[in-house]
Amino acid sequence: MGKTQIVKKKEKVRPGAWQIILIAGFLFYMFIPIISTYLFSVATRWDRTILPEGYTLEFYGKTFEASYFLSSLRNSIILSVSTIFVSLVLIVPTTYWVHVRLPQAKPILDMLMILPFGIPTVVLALALVQVYNPTPLGHSPVLLIGAVFIYSMPFMYRPISNALNAIDAQTLTEAGQSLGATTGQVLLKVIIPNIFAGIISGSLLVFATVFAEFTLTKLILGARFKTFPLLLVEYTRINGNIAAAFSVISFTIAWLVSILILWVGKKSQGASAEAVRSH
Amino acid sequence: MSYLELRNVFKTFANVTAVRDFTLDIDKGTLVSFLGPSGCGKTTTLRMIAGFETPDGGTIELDSEDITQVVPNKRDIGMVFQAYALFPNMTVRQNVAFGLKMKNTPKDQMDKRIDEVLEMVRLSETAKRYPHQLSGGQQQRIALARALAVQPRVLLLDEPLSALDAEVRVVLRGEIRRIQSELAITTVYVTHDQEEALSISDKVVVMEGGVIQQVGTPEEIYRAPQTRFVATFIGTANQFFGKVQDKQHVLVDELSLEVENLEGCAAGQQVVVLVRPEYIQVTTQKPERSGCNIVSGVVETITFHGAVTRLGVNANNQRIVADINVSETEPIGLNQKVWLLFGSNACKVMAVDK
Ligand SMILES: Nc1ncnc2c1ncn2[C@@H]1O[C@H](COP(=O)(O)OP(=O)(O)OP(=O)(O)O)[C@@H](O)[C@H]1O
Ligand SMILES: [Mg+2]
Repeated sequence: MGKTQIVKKKEKVRPGAWQIILIAGFLFYMFIPIISTYLFSVATRWDRTILPEGYTLEFYGKTFEASYFLSSLRNSIILSVSTIFVSLVLIVPTTYWVHVRLPQAKPILDMLMILPFGIPTVVLALALVQVYNPTPLGHSPVLLIGAVFIYSMPFMYRPISNALNAIDAQTLTEAGQSLGATTGQVLLKVIIPNIFAGIISGSLLVFATVFAEFTLTKLILGARFKTFPLLLVEYTRINGNIAAAFSVISFTIAWLVSILILWVGKKSQGASAEAVRSH
Repeated sequence: MSYLELRNVFKTFANVTAVRDFTLDIDKGTLVSFLGPSGCGKTTTLRMIAGFETPDGGTIELDSEDITQVVPNKRDIGMVFQAYALFPNMTVRQNVAFGLKMKNTPKDQMDKRIDEVLEMVRLSETAKRYPHQLSGGQQQRIALARALAVQPRVLLLDEPLSALDAEVRVVLRGEIRRIQSELAITTVYVTHDQEEALSISDKVVVMEGGVIQQVGTPEEIYRAPQTRFVATFIGTANQFFGKVQDKQHVLVDELSLEVENLEGCAAGQQVVVLVRPEYIQVTTQKPERSGCNIVSGVVETITFHGAVTRLGVNANNQRIVADINVSETEPIGLNQKVWLLFGSNACKVMAVDK
């Protein structure tokens, strides 16, 4: 019995020919645009040959000369980081509360949290502008943070909810309370460390989503608050090569930040991540 | 005046009454078990004592203080859970330290106390490990140490051993009892394992359907059950349904059983006579003796139980079980005709409606 299972497992590991083709096709589909963007950002001329005729770093120089380069980068980072912050502060306690005190409301929360996927961003943006325009909030970055928070909410909620499902949050909370801790102390000292992996992946997803956000920013704030994607789109109309260079910078920043968040997560987690994973 | 007092406690969920009119006194330093079938309200009662559920009626008093509405973290009541509930992100030492930290215990006192309780559960060497690096039994010991570290006024345990295998269960229940008596800590222990409850408790509370059936020492519960439920739930009891004949006899079908203590019953009343299998003597020859009840039947089943062997006997289509000690009795085989003897003092009579 045991032996046949082992054999089966081994067979599963070796992929068939069609699997290799499928995976290769998928990787091709995923990476060709990225590789082309990279190449295009350093190409002198690339319309008559398969590979570019020559290479140059000139366009990267141009990106740094762009007047809004630094400010748009700064704006994008401010926007992403504040959204992650708002998202964490609102979603972690809410999700925890529902898991522990109102488990019957979990399906409702699950449904609420996929609603943002169902609302086209254009509609969301125009609706917000209409409602808030007469108030001081209209056209303010605060409104934008609110909007991208809603838009990116599912990305934060899902990993956190899954992480809470993986631990027995209710019993851990009761154990903490019977030892004299308040609910807040339990959340900080017991629950958050044990769902840290979920918090990190939620933050990464929110960062990636918000850093690349275009529609909401454009419609709510427009030129008043130029973010990196806005600048990038602007340059696609001016010079394709420079736009490609912007894209590459954007990718790189997103990757660097992802690595940074993962690294911070690993570091503050240390051995306990291991403990949680094998729990 | 008892240390922990529950007065007419009620708890209803949506449409089920989980606990009704629950009144119980628990003396300081004693171990009291709640014993009963699944769903009888043991956990709910325990959680009301801990403060995780609020009673719909009644009061809970601890050390003459009404704690019915006090939040769990202000009650000074420790709890051990079936699923251990150790904090996975903390080492054993950090787990045990948690409660002491919440109380702002000075560092040196804290270290001393942690060493003490780890010593008490005999797991000092595991201090640096994480919960997932311990066996189930070890995790539960640490959970016990963690609950005891803060010196709670009451210790609650909800089926702490049911996730462990039989051998560990027996060892650990002895440990729990040892530590409990050493510390003289007031303890409520929930279980549905009667052997566990009878072996470690000062008092056993037998519950059914959210109601207390009987409170007593393990001896009393076993020897003098007050309801038919207790008699059949604790241990095994043969049941003979019949009518009261006179002051000393109950008529069961054609057979007249001699019993004691029929004072409270009127002639003709429907009653049940309960006889424990270990009080029944079995012989293979028709006995000459009189002065006790004799029933004859045919052996249908023989099951070996270690110390005793249990016979299932068919007597006029009523099934009777009797325990025999193999070394003391002549060999008995299947389908053999046997005589069952039991004295009037082995019979416990109860009205049927109970
Ligand atoms: N949160 C709840 N919501 C609804 N009903 C509940 C809840 N908790 C308990 N009950 C019901 O209350 C009754 C008593 O439950 P309780 O958990 O106290 O039983 P128990 O004696 O601990 O059983 P077990 O031995 O299976 O643990 C059961 O009928 C149960 O279905
Ligand atoms: Mg229970």
